[in-house]
Amino acid sequence: MAQCVQSVQEFVQDSFVPMVAVLCSEEAERVTRKNNLNFAELLRPFCRLTSEGHMRDPNNQVQVVKNLRIFVNNVVTSPNRPPTALSHAQSKILNEVVLSCQPQEGVVNNVVTAGDYDLNFSATTPWFETYRENFLQSMPASDHEFLNHYLACLLVVSSTEAVPVEQFLKLSQEQHRIQHSGEYTNPKWFIPNTLKYYVLLHDMSEGDEQRADAVYEDMKQRYGSQGCYLLKMNTRSFSAEGDEQIPDPWSQYLQRNILHTQVRTASTPHFNPNGVSGSLESHPLQLDITSSSGSLHTLGAVKTELKKGARDPESLAGGAGSHGACLTLNDHDHIRQFIQEFTFRGLLPHIEKNIRQLNDQVKTLILKIWEMPPKHFCSCPEYPKTMTSSWYPPEAPELQIRKMADLCFLVQHYELAYSCYHTAKKDFLSDQAMLYAAGALEMAAVSAFLQAGAPRPYPAHYMDTAIQTYRDVCKNMVLAERCVLLNAEILKSQGKYSDAATLLIKMTSEDSDLRSALLLEQAAHCFINMRNPMVRKFAFHMILAGHRFSKAGQRRHALRCYCQAMQVYKERSWSLAEDHINFTIGRQSFTLRQPEKAVIAFRQILTNDSRQTATQQSAFLREYLYVYKVTTFTPDGLSLPQLPLPCIHCSATRVYFGHERRLAEGEKQAATHVSLDQEYDQDSADMWCHLEEQLVAAANRGIVPVNFQPTQCCLNSQTDNQRHPLAVVEEPIIVEVTFRNPLKVSLALSNLSLLWRFTADDAPPSKEKMTNELMTQKDDIVTTEVIQEFQMGPEETKMARLRLLPHRTGQLNVVGVVYNLAASSSGEMATFDVMVVHGKQDLMIQGPRLNQTKEDKMTVRHGHDQRLNFIVTSPMPLMEIFFLQFPTALLCGEIRKAYVEFCNVSSVALCGLRVVSTHPDFFSFGSQATTPLTPVSPTSAENNSAYKTLATPPQSGSAAFEMLVSAEDFSQPSGVIDIPIDGSTLQPGESTQLPLWLRGPDQEGVHEINFLFYYESTGKGNKISHRVLRHTVFICASRSLSVQASACRSCVPPHHSLGDKGGGGTLIFIDVENINMSEAGMREFHIVQVSSSSQHWRLHKCINPAKDKDCKLTSRERAKLCFRATRCKPQKGTPYRINKPYLSALFQYMIISSSTPCGDFFFRGCQTSESQRLDAPSSRTSCSSKSQSCVSTEDRSSDITNIVRKCNELDLNIIVIWKAYVVEDNKQLILEGQLHVALQTIGKEASSLTPREEAQEMVLLKFKSQLPPPVILPSAELSQLVKTSLHYPETYTHPFVQDSLCVVPVTLTLSNCSLAQVDVIIDLRHKGTSPETLEVHSSFTWVGQTQYKLQLKPQEVLCLTLQACFLQAGVYNLNTPRVFAKPAEQGAMCETSQQTASPSLIFINNA
Amino acid sequence: MAVCIAVIAKENYPLYIRSVPTQNELKFHYTVHTSLDVVEEKISAVGKSLGDQRELYLGLLYPTEDYKVYGYVTNSKVKFVIVVDSSNTSLRDNEIRSMFRKLHNSFTDVMCNPFHNPGDQIQSKAFDGIVSGMMVQTG
Repeated sequence: MAQCVQSVQEFVQDSFVPMVAVLCSEEAERVTRKNNLNFAELLRPFCRLTSEGHMRDPNNQVQVVKNLRIFVNNVVTSPNRPPTALSHAQSKILNEVVLSCQPQEGVVNNVVTAGDYDLNFSATTPWFETYRENFLQSMPASDHEFLNHYLACLLVVSSTEAVPVEQFLKLSQEQHRIQHSGEYTNPKWFIPNTLKYYVLLHDMSEGDEQRADAVYEDMKQRYGSQGCYLLKMNTRSFSAEGDEQIPDPWSQYLQRNILHTQVRTASTPHFNPNGVSGSLESHPLQLDITSSSGSLHTLGAVKTELKKGARDPESLAGGAGSHGACLTLNDHDHIRQFIQEFTFRGLLPHIEKNIRQLNDQVKTLILKIWEMPPKHFCSCPEYPKTMTSSWYPPEAPELQIRKMADLCFLVQHYELAYSCYHTAKKDFLSDQAMLYAAGALEMAAVSAFLQAGAPRPYPAHYMDTAIQTYRDVCKNMVLAERCVLLNAEILKSQGKYSDAATLLIKMTSEDSDLRSALLLEQAAHCFINMRNPMVRKFAFHMILAGHRFSKAGQRRHALRCYCQAMQVYKERSWSLAEDHINFTIGRQSFTLRQPEKAVIAFRQILTNDSRQTATQQSAFLREYLYVYKVTTFTPDGLSLPQLPLPCIHCSATRVYFGHERRLAEGEKQAATHVSLDQEYDQDSADMWCHLEEQLVAAANRGIVPVNFQPTQCCLNSQTDNQRHPLAVVEEPIIVEVTFRNPLKVSLALSNLSLLWRFTADDAPPSKEKMTNELMTQKDDIVTTEVIQEFQMGPEETKMARLRLLPHRTGQLNVVGVVYNLAASSSGEMATFDVMVVHGKQDLMIQGPRLNQTKEDKMTVRHGHDQRLNFIVTSPMPLMEIFFLQFPTALLCGEIRKAYVEFCNVSSVALCGLRVVSTHPDFFSFGSQATTPLTPVSPTSAENNSAYKTLATPPQSGSAAFEMLVSAEDFSQPSGVIDIPIDGSTLQPGESTQLPLWLRGPDQEGVHEINFLFYYESTGKGNKISHRVLRHTVFICASRSLSVQASACRSCVPPHHSLGDKGGGGTLIFIDVENINMSEAGMREFHIVQVSSSSQHWRLHKCINPAKDKDCKLTSRERAKLCFRATRCKPQKGTPYRINKPYLSALFQYMIISSSTPCGDFFFRGCQTSESQRLDAPSSRTSCSSKSQSCVSTEDRSSDITNIVRKCNELDLNIIVIWKAYVVEDNKQLILEGQLHVALQTIGKEASSLTPREEAQEMVLLKFKSQLPPPVILPSAELSQLVKTSLHYPETYTHPFVQDSLCVVPVTLTLSNCSLAQVDVIIDLRHKGTSPETLEVHSSFTWVGQTQYKLQLKPQEVLCLTLQACFLQAGVYNLNTPRVFAKPAEQGAMCETSQQTASPSLIFINNA
Repeated sequence: MAVCIAVIAKENYPLYIRSVPTQNELKFHYTVHTSLDVVEEKISAVGKSLGDQRELYLGLLYPTEDYKVYGYVTNSKVKFVIVVDSSNTSLRDNEIRSMFRKLHNSFTDVMCNPFHNPGDQIQSKAFDGIVSGMMVQTG
């Protein structure tokens, strides 16, 4: 229960006050009417007595009467029986009272925190208190209790009357007639001889004061000085108004009075003795109330009127004259004195007297009752169960007790009252007079409660019984309600909120919505005021109250209840309930003309992810659209209202600069560039940025400018949006907005377009920004594309692409979208009925959350996102690129020729065309040095080959065609390739076509190859320095041939070789295998040509043993080619020698492998493989060279290894050119291609297929630095430093008979393979370690010098003549010399591998 | 049998509410929500007196005109609420208890599902089946 202004005691006391009737003469009425009041009203503000009164109880004890209030009322008579329910008019009045009492706007609400709920509501409910007060005052007087029966009657006569005494007499008779004629059951009178108090009213302004005094004296004589009073008033003349502000104590009472009087008049139209309500008819409020109380408009009027009245009392009655206009403050005091005099001199003694009388009566009565109880008790069963008021005759002793109790109660003698009530209750109960009993119970409980220093606890069960009896037995809801109100207030004061709530809830019923609503609201307040606040119960009962309020027509209260309940349900995922409340709030707000609130509430329903059914949602939507349409139409058109639907996912907004491109045009295939259809991928973005950086660096002589920013054609949430993106004038901007429909019904959007704001470059700063919000098309600045229809299905997320085409330079901001929203009509639904609203939604993109500084981390800060704030710059060139005959699948190494076309589609010339790619070895534009720049048309290629060919020279294959080229001709310093177009500029509209050679990647699989084309404007000073165009192709590479090559030193002694003095011959073996897995289409491969390319080596003619002139490979076949290679003298600039030792005889031409496509790809392949090789060791050393301790040993050993490596180095590249015959669609195609093998070292096998990268082995992470394992001298490699060979006659015939010793000269040739000086030790002594070898070799011996120590210069060949001595004929192995070699200035010696080599056998024959 | 069965998360938002389809769903939402006050009151009352050794079954939360609301709280403060028609006098306390136990077991199964994200709405056919078995069958 809400907090009340009054205390409980005050409230209960004030609920039952002595009633005093007023009868006025007409003249007196006229006097008071001057003040715009009747007499009762005039007295009302002064009815509370400030001083204490005293009276004696029957035991002659003095009883103090404090803070007494009396109620003065005009006598209104009616013959009606007291009703058991409030009359219609009464309930209407109550309704009005509640309606008029609304919470004030500025009232500070208190916040209740319960659990995790913070509720904000006003703790006081003045409307309830007003209701209660009015309800209690409008209680009809009933027979079973006397509390609101009139105790006294004031007879008022004016002094201006001709004979006032006569008037008094008349009035007295009138009173007597009303009370005793039996004509009227209403009003009721407490005691038969009602106290009559004679008041002479004197108007100071007109009457004769002395006469009045004289009349008063006369009255005193007649009625005694305690029974009459002279009231002088109206001291101030009516005309003298305005000069003195007199407080108006009436205003707060009057409102109610008016309503009340009205009730009385309404219920008793036939009797109006004093014309009480005569002037009231003209009151402005009355018309409103009676005419159309339900209408909202008049309600508003009432409300404002009331507010005015409350604030400024004078103004309320402004029309009819203010209250008390003729009264001075002195007059107020007079009135106050009069009331006091009347109460203390007249009323209290009268009551005291009556109590005494009653007490005496009762005492005797009780005795009587006790004398004859059996008679009473035996007759009980005959009585009807439900008692009516007519059961007891007025003189019945039980009623006398009750009467006495009531009197005692009224004068605050609660103790006596309680005992009387208690006695009466017993009597009534024994008589089964339930109504009487209930009344007595109720009052017994109340007086028990009011007893100061209560000797007994509050008998709550009395109340319960009373309520139950009233409600169930007597069906008297009015009394039951009064009882509940009292009881609830008392329980509340005792902290028994739970009981109070139950009580209040029980009292709700179907018969009165207003009462139910108010009680439910109070119950809700009870729940929240409990020690453990029951928030949810509070909310629930608030909703129930709201429901009842709305049924009772109390819209404002209903809305308030729902709003308060909303706080509990809000955002706690009780969506069904939340939606219901929101919906109700929306409706109520709408009917209360609070469209903003209504729109907000409806918006809540629609934007929440609610679980409502589709039909429900469509109802919500329709309602919302209706409300929206009706209310938020802003005729001023300054800005459009915001729409809640569909949801815009702002951060998903994407912006694209440029035209939407056609991807293919006939044969031509356009560069893919960027499109909105692509998903953003950070890796690829980085890759493109890296490529662009390369391009920009190349364009700026190798330096990337500081302010370099990668071009971003498509902006989204992941891109860097800190800068204003640059757009180009006359080039479209496409903004993709993501809409989400949260509803289960489809939405229809129409006329969807972007909302923008534009500031021109040259516009003065003061000039207002231009915007297209106001419906006017401003196509001269920015053409805005409008999407006519945009349907969204249920719960669909859909993107809309909206175009802008700026026509002027300046700053262009996209601020939102504007559209018409309608519920999607389903088919036959008439279109005129469809609700369409026009509105906008803002696009506010919040930047990413900052996380740099401490402040950023501590608070939530967001960066800027300039995605939608463009700067429109001056025109820029725009290039389009098309590809012709571009393949999608290639064999590994396949060479294909394609064409690329560059078109300048803008009106600005462009230049500086460059391209960079992730796979620079994939394509070539040809090199300028070797290729004539004339573009070759696709058909004119000789032999239908991508290669340049020559007719086969006559002596095919015999002489190697050799050519010297420089690698610089082919390779470019970086990956950036300048595109060789004529004149290096493209004029507007111009286009040019260039050939493009492609080579299938060496690895099979699908390759994504990215090209980034760069161009810039010929004009300078643009905001955009350059533009780029992306192209991505996917090439599916399938296996072709695998070429494996290995080299080994030939054992052929140098002089046998072709007169070459160098490091001797090396044999090159090339294994070619057809590893094409594929399809039937592939028929066979031909090896067309093998070329070599090296700076130091030269490949000689083919020494294939098979002498196979045509190397043909079908599936899975393998062929071997053998070549001899020789070292050649280094030349200046170390150009590459390219020669072709092998030519297939099948083809009558030769491919110039030194010129454009072949050479390009070869050298580019070299570059990439080299760079890979450089990368690999560097990464390896970086991790191993941490430990410093073993640097020296490492250095030394690396020296040796270097030497050794050098010695074994063989920098020879082999190019294998092949042709493949493929049948495709019944057509034979000849594909051609080339494979490269780079032979690095002798003995190591190299392959054209790069070995599959082994997954990086997991290396155990070690935290202790381990000593690297001791360096083992690479003996195997060292042993190859020096090559040895023995030269001797194969058979030697010696006459052993003549000479037992046979000496054979043997030449030992030592050749130093390395480029360093080598110390060689030759030891001829047998050092057989095993007995076996000893046995074999023991039969011959070396003679002469058996140990040599020599030094070999780099690449020196030295012949040493040795002598072997044989003792007998036989076969001997001469290969026994042990040769130790070491690089000069190195410690370790190493044996050459000569020992392990095959035996050198000699036949010694006996002649 | 029950007319409405609800599972409420620790933070007092609904994990699962199902009511007899023919009746006013909104009313049950309100009823269940309001009953949480009583549940909380009972939990706090129990916490004081008995400590950990507490009965999960809370008994009759409150009777309304048409329904009886029963409550049950798991150790993780997940609440089960069963609303029963007041006219259904055949239901004894023990039966309600066993209904709750069954519900709890099924709920545990749902929670054990590794693909269930605790705190999400319960979307489980098995659970649905158990609940349907406990609901009043209306024609």
